[in-house]
Amino acid sequence: MSYSAAKNSQMQKKLRQEAKALLEQGKVDCIIGYEPGSLKHATTPLITKDKAATERLVINPFIVNNLSNFLPYTKGRIGIVAKGCDSRSIVSLIQDNKVKREDLFILGVPCSGLIDVSKVEALVGKYRDEIDDISRQGDIITVKVGAAKKEFSLSQVMFDNCLACELPTPAEYDVLLGEPTSPIGAAAESAGKLDELKAMTAAQRWAFWQNEFRRCTRCYACRNVCPACYCKRCFVDETEPQWLAPMPQEPDNLMFQIIRNLHVSGRCTDCGECERTCPVNIPLRALTRDMYDIVDELFEFKSGMDTKTQPLLTAYEVDEAEDLVK
Amino acid sequence: MADSKKVRKEDLAGLLTEWSRDYAVLAPSRADGVARMAAWDGEDISFLDWYRNTINPVKSLFLPPVEEMFSISRNERGHRIELPPKDDTGCLVFGVRPCDARSLILLDVVFEDAYEDPYYLDRRRRSIVVGLCCTNPCDSCFCTSVDSGPAATAGMDIMFTDIGDNLLVEGISRKGKELVAGNATLAKATRTDENRARKIRLAAEKKITRKIDTGDSKERLLAVFEDESFWQQVSAKCVSCGVCTLLCPTCYCFDINDAMTGGEGSRCRSLDSCAFSSYTKMPMENPRADKWRRVRNKLCHKYEFYPMLFDNIACTGCGRCIRLCPVNWDITQVLDSLPAKHESKI
Amino acid sequence: MTQDSEWEPRLLGLLCKWCSYAGADLAGTGRKKYPANIRIIKVPCSGRIDPLLIVKALRLGFDGVLVSGCHPGDCHYQTGNYRARRRLAITRKFLEGMGVDPRRLRATWVSASESGKFVEVVSDLVKDLKEIGPNELFGGKKQPDAEKAKTGS
Ligand code: SF4
Ligand code: SF4
Ligand code: SF4
Ligand code: SF4
Repeated sequence: MSYSAAKNSQMQKKLRQEAKALLEQGKVDCIIGYEPGSLKHATTPLITKDKAATERLVINPFIVNNLSNFLPYTKGRIGIVAKGCDSRSIVSLIQDNKVKREDLFILGVPCSGLIDVSKVEALVGKYRDEIDDISRQGDIITVKVGAAKKEFSLSQVMFDNCLACELPTPAEYDVLLGEPTSPIGAAAESAGKLDELKAMTAAQRWAFWQNEFRRCTRCYACRNVCPACYCKRCFVDETEPQWLAPMPQEPDNLMFQIIRNLHVSGRCTDCGECERTCPVNIPLRALTRDMYDIVDELFEFKSGMDTKTQPLLTAYEVDEAEDLVK
Repeated sequence: MADSKKVRKEDLAGLLTEWSRDYAVLAPSRADGVARMAAWDGEDISFLDWYRNTINPVKSLFLPPVEEMFSISRNERGHRIELPPKDDTGCLVFGVRPCDARSLILLDVVFEDAYEDPYYLDRRRRSIVVGLCCTNPCDSCFCTSVDSGPAATAGMDIMFTDIGDNLLVEGISRKGKELVAGNATLAKATRTDENRARKIRLAAEKKITRKIDTGDSKERLLAVFEDESFWQQVSAKCVSCGVCTLLCPTCYCFDINDAMTGGEGSRCRSLDSCAFSSYTKMPMENPRADKWRRVRNKLCHKYEFYPMLFDNIACTGCGRCIRLCPVNWDITQVLDSLPAKHESKI
Repeated sequence: MTQDSEWEPRLLGLLCKWCSYAGADLAGTGRKKYPANIRIIKVPCSGRIDPLLIVKALRLGFDGVLVSGCHPGDCHYQTGNYRARRRLAITRKFLEGMGVDPRRLRATWVSASESGKFVEVVSDLVKDLKEIGPNELFGGKKQPDAEKAKTGS
């Protein structure tokens, strides 16, 4: 089904009704969704118990946050707005016993992909706040700056992970807010950085990553927005023993991210949040997506597809990965 | 604007080159999509066109994200402790925005208050801060609400304003005035230049639409301090990362760690963040285990505790915490939503 | 990579308590000669090995890491080694993608009686590592001795 603003606002209307009803009928204690952000072309999470606040809920091509991240820290029964990738993270959290399915009411959003404003900024040579309007009709994105108007294709402006998304319509939901959408199916266009890296020698790849992580601030935004990183105490905060220096320096920065990726293997759903939030533009998805593909290639495992599957690292087959062992 | 000078844009590189003889000159540059202050390359002044502000605030030049305090080495007789080699080079930072320049004044007070911090103060003493008036502020900027503004000069030694073909140059501090006075590349600015600068500044100020009333924020914060449900609500979407604090021009919390291998290494200090759940975990536990307490602390430190101690609000309105926050948590919205003093329950 | 002939790789062995550690022990008590390049840490089960331990060893400057557990079907805890195998396969592949020579991480099964196999595997890994050269991934030559490595500082 192709995207239209009208269909989208239908969906938004339905969401507001559903969310309000859920609170009114006492079916949930709170709603987690999106409301307009305080910046242009942005939204912000709305976590509320207030019926009236449901009027502020939005669905648009800028609902970037993976809201499942809040689930392990939120008490009570929760009504949560979930795009495809978010629903996979929710499923993964259910598999990991981090949330109970019966405590959730999943308001599923059949997603048509999200617009990466930083790509738009680069394309039109303007900053976010200088861009007057970004709108989508069908597969065309129209960007207005003053009187100038430019059109772009999906593969130019959608988030890389959206281009490669395999499950835009949640498989796990209580109500689906619109008609199912199909994947954009432009994985190849989203793999620029990965391909670039694959063409390098091993030494070049390592040097590349060493250089990238020199500017890591160790703000841990990548970890803290990641639904798969829910540890009460992360290994970076351990002091006995101290696994790595708790300061922003190489090679500890790189080591942190290596371990983080190894820890979220089989739970990362390629939601893209870590890369999006990194304040210093480290191309983190080139790591997370690589891991995503490795897990798929070795064990035909895709995280968060259904609640029945056993989590990757708690399961095994007797005859697998045998060439590993010598 | 008395005694103001000007320099033609095509001569700016020449001027910076001149200054490079006496100072290590830093200027805005961009790599990997990240704007930062970096050693000036001797020619590039294209930042005049694209630069709004850096991701890392200017504090990182004086209170670096990580620095060695001393090194520890071992010999037959035991351990030897050495301070980092003394650096006497002067440093000239070109293009500091008014909000960041102001942050230095706020930090100076802290680092010379209870004790004198030699690391920070030494770098400050060796530095010349050359400001650049904002002509294209972001929608997240709210400097005019916190005693600053796109043309404010606090914390600067010299201030530049882009007036088209020329840059208006004004000496602000004694150091800055001296540097400007003796310089042959600079011409005397005309009335017209000054008027143009005035207009440009007014226009910039008008562009700042994000405004908050900070008049009694201190009192309102005090009144709402114990209101847990208020803070719970305000902090709900925060994910406790370090973005808004590590990249805040006025946050100055640091941690000290030893980086040792085989009994040798160094003692380092690095920025810390009160947003982290692991903050101050080293002596015992974090007294602010709940997220709402940490969010409250961040806000109150800037708008209540610091003002109580040093009279100023410890926020310069640079807007980084709004722009860069993963969840668009907005400090101005929260300040706006503080109940008026008499409405509070306590 | 050209190496001076003096250079001896150093490797960390993470050996499960029930089989492989006993196997290594047997090699020792049986006076079987195996390269002195290995430092051994006994773990309760190969399934206990967080990839963190492997990366930390590389960070500390070890040139290679050997992980060894009980043969499939023999795990003291039934399935620990199967789980370890998944994790290790992922770890190795991911590190390779980042630019780490996958031969730096070796996995094997050694039973309590297979002292010969243990010696063989260690020797073979040492041979491989000599070919690859020293691990300079995390900043060069400065290698802490095994004492320091143990305290994890
Ligand atoms: S978000 Fe980026 S800067 Fe922050 S810790 Fe992660 S990689 Fe480093
Ligand atoms: S990096 Fe590892 S230890 Fe840290 S939160 Fe993520 S999964 Fe947990
Ligand atoms: S690692 Fe990154 S892409 Fe993967 S689930 Fe976590 S935040 Fe999303
Ligand atoms: S940047 Fe945002 S999410 Fe991170 S600690 Fe600050 S307010 Fe919270």
